[in-house]
Amino acid sequence: MNTAIEAKQLTKEIGGKKIVNQLSFTINKGEVFGLLGPNGAGKTTTIETLLGIKRPDQGSTRILGLDPRKQRREVFEKVGVQLQSSSYQNNIRVGELCRELSSLYKQPRNYQELLSLFKLERFETQLVEKLSGGERQKLSIVLALIPDPEIIFLDELTTGLDTEARRSVWQTLLKLKETKLTIFLTTHYMEEAEILCDHIYLIKRGNVVTEGTVPELLAESAQNNLEDAYLWFLGEDDYE
Amino acid sequence: MSKVISLAKIEGKLAIRSIDGILFGMGMPLGVLLLTTMIAGDKQAGNASYTFLDSSFSSLLVVGICATAFMGIPLTICDYRDKKILKHFFVTPASPAHLIATQVLVATVTAVISASLVTFVSIVFLGYRMRGSWLLLIASYFLVMIAMYSLGLLIASLCKNMKIANLVCSLVYFPMLFLSGAVIPFEIFPSGMQKVASVLPLTQGVQLLKSVSLNQPVGHPQFVLSLLSVITIVGFGLAAKFFRWE
Repeated sequence: MNTAIEAKQLTKEIGGKKIVNQLSFTINKGEVFGLLGPNGAGKTTTIETLLGIKRPDQGSTRILGLDPRKQRREVFEKVGVQLQSSSYQNNIRVGELCRELSSLYKQPRNYQELLSLFKLERFETQLVEKLSGGERQKLSIVLALIPDPEIIFLDELTTGLDTEARRSVWQTLLKLKETKLTIFLTTHYMEEAEILCDHIYLIKRGNVVTEGTVPELLAESAQNNLEDAYLWFLGEDDYE
Repeated sequence: MSKVISLAKIEGKLAIRSIDGILFGMGMPLGVLLLTTMIAGDKQAGNASYTFLDSSFSSLLVVGICATAFMGIPLTICDYRDKKILKHFFVTPASPAHLIATQVLVATVTAVISASLVTFVSIVFLGYRMRGSWLLLIASYFLVMIAMYSLGLLIASLCKNMKIANLVCSLVYFPMLFLSGAVIPFEIFPSGMQKVASVLPLTQGVQLLKSVSLNQPVGHPQFVLSLLSVITIVGFGLAAKFFRWE
């Protein structure tokens, strides 16, 4: 079986408004999938519904062939998640945070290895709140990798980082991509999506606008780069 | 369970690092105990047939419970909800319930250490001798604890954010602490105030511990027993019903 994630007609209403409307997609193992869209498009709600944090009003999701609401424990032994703008306990040290998370899994990866892989080993005894933005985002990748996952979800990992830190996170993700890890990410940086993603899924107000590989989207929109293509796809009905 | 214990080791360290639990839960009851004893230890408590030390001992046992139930537990849970830490536990093989169980465990350990310190200092340094049964005292202590923790969890469930939680905790914690007789001897309150204070569940809890430690009924122990049991059941029930982890 080659499918990592499957969403069928996923719909989520909040307060009578359809935040996510009939989204369907299939993500193969080893693929980097980019969910793009403007602020308020429903990206985070899509991720949360996909993961079963929120109950879908219609449709279904499968992660590694399992229902994340019914087989939560099994699913999340193999899936690492970085939620958007999440933060950590006050006064917690890097090593403690890693140990705390490791204790939740049956067979976690050695977090010290992961820290040195991301050049964070010297921060092990440092308070998490004292880390710089870039270091902190790398730490959140480390945390997402602690379960030794088959899939990781990264929601706006690079938002708020400076250019240098962002590039260094991209390098990290490119290395992860080589390991055939399935990555589901959302981002506001088209350059990031262009470099990293095998498949793009563009949504607006909860509806799918278009999907495909980067070359497909460029060809369809007749643009030179993803940023222009993105604006072209989104702009279509904005000049009414 | 092993997950809860390994979490508790780290969360416990965090609790120690944030200091206020130790200060309010352990330092304060000891300070008040010494102060009360220095000022009026062997004097009769109001019109009662026992001394202020007799009265303070059993009352100060609950200060650790009060601090963890109405500050520690609800504030930590609300903080973790605000920071999406509870939500994050949902996308692990553990669950938010694990983290909450851990917080309750940390609170229990804090409260028990606090009560043990009060007991130790009272007996070893202040020459306190209890008249009642230790076994009954310990049982009543834990009954008061679970009743108060159920209320603390209910507060955590009902408060939408940290701002509201801070306000509600202050509004509950300080009256409970000062009016229940936990810190200021109940016996010296004017009778009007005693009536008002009796409405607080912790006042009843303190009365129960006093009855047991003095081996004589203070207030209505039977009534208190059923009251605390009802609070526990209703508190946990409502807390579970209204709980939101985001």
